[in-house]
Amino acid sequence: MDFSFLGFNIGSLNVWAVWILPFVGALVIPAAARVSKAGPGYVAVAFALVSAISAATLLPLALNNHEIHSQIPWIPSVGLKAGVLADPLAVLMANIVGWISFLIFVYSLGYMKGDRDLMRFFFWMAFFVGSMQLIVLSDNFLQLFFGWEGVGLASYALIGFWYRDKKKDHVGTEGRTVLGLLDYYSPTQSGMKSFIMTKVGDIMMLSGMFLIFAFAGTFGFKELASNTSWATAMSAHNLLIPAAILLFGGAVGKSAQFPLNEWLLEAMTGPTSVSALIHAATMVKAGVFLVARLGPLFFALAAAGLDMNQFFEVVAWVGAITAFLLATQGMVHTEIKKVLAYSTGSQIGYMMLALGVAGLSRQFVDGYTAGFFHLISHAMFKASLFMAAGSLLHVVGSRFMTDMGGLRRLMPKTYIFMWAAGLGLMGAPFISTGFWSKDAIFGAVYQSGSSWALPLFIIAAITAVMTTFYTTRLIGMVFFGNKSKHIEHLEKEGYHVHEASPVMWIPYGILAALTIGVGILGLAFEHQIHDIFTAYLASDFGIKSSVGAVATQSQNLLGGFLEGVNPLALSISLSAFAVGFVLGYIFYIGRFADPAKVVNSNIFFYAIHKFFLNRWYLDALINWTFVVGPLYVARGIYRYFEDKVMEGFNLVPEKTMAGGARIMQATQTGISQSYLYIFGAGILIVLLLLFI
Amino acid sequence: MLDFTSTPIILTLMLGAVGVIIPVISAARKEKGGKLYGGIAFGALVAAIAFVGYQIMTKNVASGALFSKDVLSNDMFGSFFAIAMLIVGIMTTVGSFNYMRGRGNPAVYYSLIVLSTIGMVLVAYSTDLVMLFVAWELMSIPTYVLAGYDKKNPSSNEAAIKYFLFGALSSGIIIWGISIAYGLTGSTNIEQVISGFSHLSPGMLPLAILAVAMFIAGFGFKIGLVPFHMWLPDTYEGAPPPISALLAAGTKKAGFAAALRVIVMGAIALDLNWSFALAIIAIITMTFGNLAAIRQKNISRMLAYSSIGHAGYILIGLSIAPFSALGAAAALFHVLNHAVMKAAAFIAVAGIVATLSITNIDKLAGLAKRMPITSLGLVVSLLALAGVPPLNGFWSKLMLFGAAIDAGHVVSWAPYLAVAGVLNSALSLAYYGWLIRKMYFEEGESEKRVKEPRSIIAVMIFSIIFMVGVGVYPDPFIQFAKSAVPVLTSIPVIH
Repeated sequence: MDFSFLGFNIGSLNVWAVWILPFVGALVIPAAARVSKAGPGYVAVAFALVSAISAATLLPLALNNHEIHSQIPWIPSVGLKAGVLADPLAVLMANIVGWISFLIFVYSLGYMKGDRDLMRFFFWMAFFVGSMQLIVLSDNFLQLFFGWEGVGLASYALIGFWYRDKKKDHVGTEGRTVLGLLDYYSPTQSGMKSFIMTKVGDIMMLSGMFLIFAFAGTFGFKELASNTSWATAMSAHNLLIPAAILLFGGAVGKSAQFPLNEWLLEAMTGPTSVSALIHAATMVKAGVFLVARLGPLFFALAAAGLDMNQFFEVVAWVGAITAFLLATQGMVHTEIKKVLAYSTGSQIGYMMLALGVAGLSRQFVDGYTAGFFHLISHAMFKASLFMAAGSLLHVVGSRFMTDMGGLRRLMPKTYIFMWAAGLGLMGAPFISTGFWSKDAIFGAVYQSGSSWALPLFIIAAITAVMTTFYTTRLIGMVFFGNKSKHIEHLEKEGYHVHEASPVMWIPYGILAALTIGVGILGLAFEHQIHDIFTAYLASDFGIKSSVGAVATQSQNLLGGFLEGVNPLALSISLSAFAVGFVLGYIFYIGRFADPAKVVNSNIFFYAIHKFFLNRWYLDALINWTFVVGPLYVARGIYRYFEDKVMEGFNLVPEKTMAGGARIMQATQTGISQSYLYIFGAGILIVLLLLFI
Repeated sequence: MLDFTSTPIILTLMLGAVGVIIPVISAARKEKGGKLYGGIAFGALVAAIAFVGYQIMTKNVASGALFSKDVLSNDMFGSFFAIAMLIVGIMTTVGSFNYMRGRGNPAVYYSLIVLSTIGMVLVAYSTDLVMLFVAWELMSIPTYVLAGYDKKNPSSNEAAIKYFLFGALSSGIIIWGISIAYGLTGSTNIEQVISGFSHLSPGMLPLAILAVAMFIAGFGFKIGLVPFHMWLPDTYEGAPPPISALLAAGTKKAGFAAALRVIVMGAIALDLNWSFALAIIAIITMTFGNLAAIRQKNISRMLAYSSIGHAGYILIGLSIAPFSALGAAAALFHVLNHAVMKAAAFIAVAGIVATLSITNIDKLAGLAKRMPITSLGLVVSLLALAGVPPLNGFWSKLMLFGAAIDAGHVVSWAPYLAVAGVLNSALSLAYYGWLIRKMYFEEGESEKRVKEPRSIIAVMIFSIIFMVGVGVYPDPFIQFAKSAVPVLTSIPVIH
């Protein structure tokens, strides 16, 4: 059959299907809700599955370094085209998004059971997946931005999903204040907070986009890569780096990087499946994806004699700072989802760091692979951890880890899966994906040859210690030790703490198993991605990679098994794991010492603990500067300027006009004789005026 | 030589015949119903407007303003005013259907409207002072009668007597001016008078100036220029509301037609500092009108003062006509717009008075719920009068003020006219906005919807379409106004 009249190749239909199907699903869901109460859930799962399968059909493209680029006219009068671009980067990302969303949709069937607004929930979830795949598969900035705003909207709608603002749906400790402001957010408030904070980044991104468009005359990624005269022109106006950093601003907002990181913590007011899908596995990765899209483009500009180092330095430093900043806070908080949220932001910081140093090194593909590999492994273990945490919340009925404890016998499956996924996050040596991907990042940073390599490396290593520590702490607090008072109270009331239903534990079980399974084959997996990206970067951007120092240095290690692994990076990452794990074990699993006593024993520990617990005062300061402060100023202006000065001034024209009107009215006597006199006087006046 | 294919002559014959026949029919007919006469008048006026349109389409009309030896000239200037006047005539006729129900002598009433309309149309076409005066009287005398049509109502009588008193006075003054002009130049043809004025011996100049002053006073009475406006609020308030529409939207505009032909040309010929004089009168007029309108309680009276304010705006265009090509065109465009806006407002008032007998603004509270369509028409016309975009009044005011700024290249005082105009427009929003708030945002004693007269609804719908349509796509009308402007530099006497 000939479909050429549609303006695109029928062979690219599956690429379009990946992002269009979830939208179709979103439209069908309200109708399905009429048929049956459970309808929306099953429809959403079905569409997610078909979309994921469509994405899977694209995998051969990535393996053979082929790509599909299909365009249709969008707004012909300005030459805009809509298109999809399935290159290896997009195909890998689309598969991660597609399959993880499918699993989380299945999990949601159980998690959201009995909620009164299932239709709304699944509508926004499906809408989210469609928008996310639109970001991934777009071949131009403008279309990507539509998806970008779509996921933002879905995120807003789902963070505030429980808009009735019940106490149990809040985030933070009731009554706790930082700098005089409540550190306690309701779902509706959190939704607005995240929407507004990410908008700051979105606006930066929009300006960057149009700045480039002004010079290049196109939004298309392929066009921008094939002809780089726009970059030379922008560079001549000193606009290239600013535009690149503005674009990065969008990524900073979406991926909750410093200084726009604070919204992610409050985003945890959403249902846990939302946190797993949007705020851990996919949407927050959109920023990383954007940098991965643009990174090679900017790096390849070196061929045109343009130095983009400043851009990559900003990316690397923002990543490193975020990784460190959020890891410190993850160590002290007691709300399980909040700890995971801190960890998410911190791990994304790692990815940014890797992509940043990629641009600073001679061997671009190493950092690029490391960042993307970490994205994949993080998506798996963090989604699994979130879903498991959701089960815990579901069963225990509290978001605080202090209300859990001793659950390992009561929820054995969740216990095992959480260990597996947790090992991924800790980076347990040789058996978890997290280990290999983190190690790849360490190696990339260490070998980048940038003057910043050493400080970045040290920050990354310290962060790794903290990551292992807080993950061990999380597992220890939830599963080890004695049952908390909360659980004892529940059991006394006859409530039986039990394992979650299979529809819930199977999805996170699969991901936990993958974390370990892929971890064991980790290096081979990494090499595969490395090969894909090497070919992709060479063919699409002309970025050549030589067989660098990495390979030669490590060839002899363990008889070639560890080919491509830097020995120093390896040893640091092993020691980081060891230190973090031992500390965590002492305090929270073995419980040889009481952490509260240690904190209170010493003014220094106490101060640091409070500093971390108060989120480095960042949230409070942002709140004071941009929300509360302006409100006070506005109120002051109203009370002292508007009310006093302006009101007084307003009386002047009012009284003048009223007085004038009274005089005018007084002339109108109604007596014809006086009218005639005035008429006569008028003739004289006209004569006088004419004779002047 | 009488040219029987000339537009004004055919119009005179058409409408004159209808105006005379209507009372004859009523004498022959036994039934009392007035609908038939209204229908005839409406048909005749629509036919007349169609005829003018046809003449313009077939290019049987000379562009600009023509000065000929004939008493009437077949030109675009006249045709532009003719269309504006005929629209007002139609709106008044249709708006009267409801008012005339159950009142006596409908045949005479409609006949007088038609006759007055011929007078307005002929004023615009006249090129001879005597012809102009005759047309002027033809326009005025029927309206004296119409203003007092509600003969058992004392305020209607007062309106008529004041109007007549000043009408007689100003007619006398115009005749005086014409006689001086004839004495100085030996002709009553406008072109001859102007060319005669420009060759006067210096000793005769004061007399010529006196003539121009007489014309300003005489025509200024109808236009409502301050200080010749005193009769105007009393008359508009007392007269039947549809007749107020005719006076404010129609006869007033005929005054501008006469002023453009006679005063502007004559004053240019005399090389006077006349435009500065007109500018001062313009500012006084608009400020007075808008200030006085603020404190009015009676809606007709408020609209009367508002029309004084608008006379001031139009006068801006007249006073700067020699300095900016836009000036006269802007004045013409505003004449057309104001004709429709003001007629719509007065017809809306006629509808309100007829159904609810309310004239006090305070009692209009909550009107939007009781008479939604009439209220909407009134609001749109008020916003258009205030010059709110995207309504027609916005564009013509923009042109007027833009022309004033443009004229600043030649005369330094011209931009102040624009400043005064803008300030006055802002000032006028005070009372327009107040009225709108009353109707839409305040609760009235009753919320029961009353039946709105169909004829009033028809007028409202037509005027809303006109005001919004011209506001959205003003270009054809601006072009029409430009094509109708007298080309001042083409007048032979100007050096």
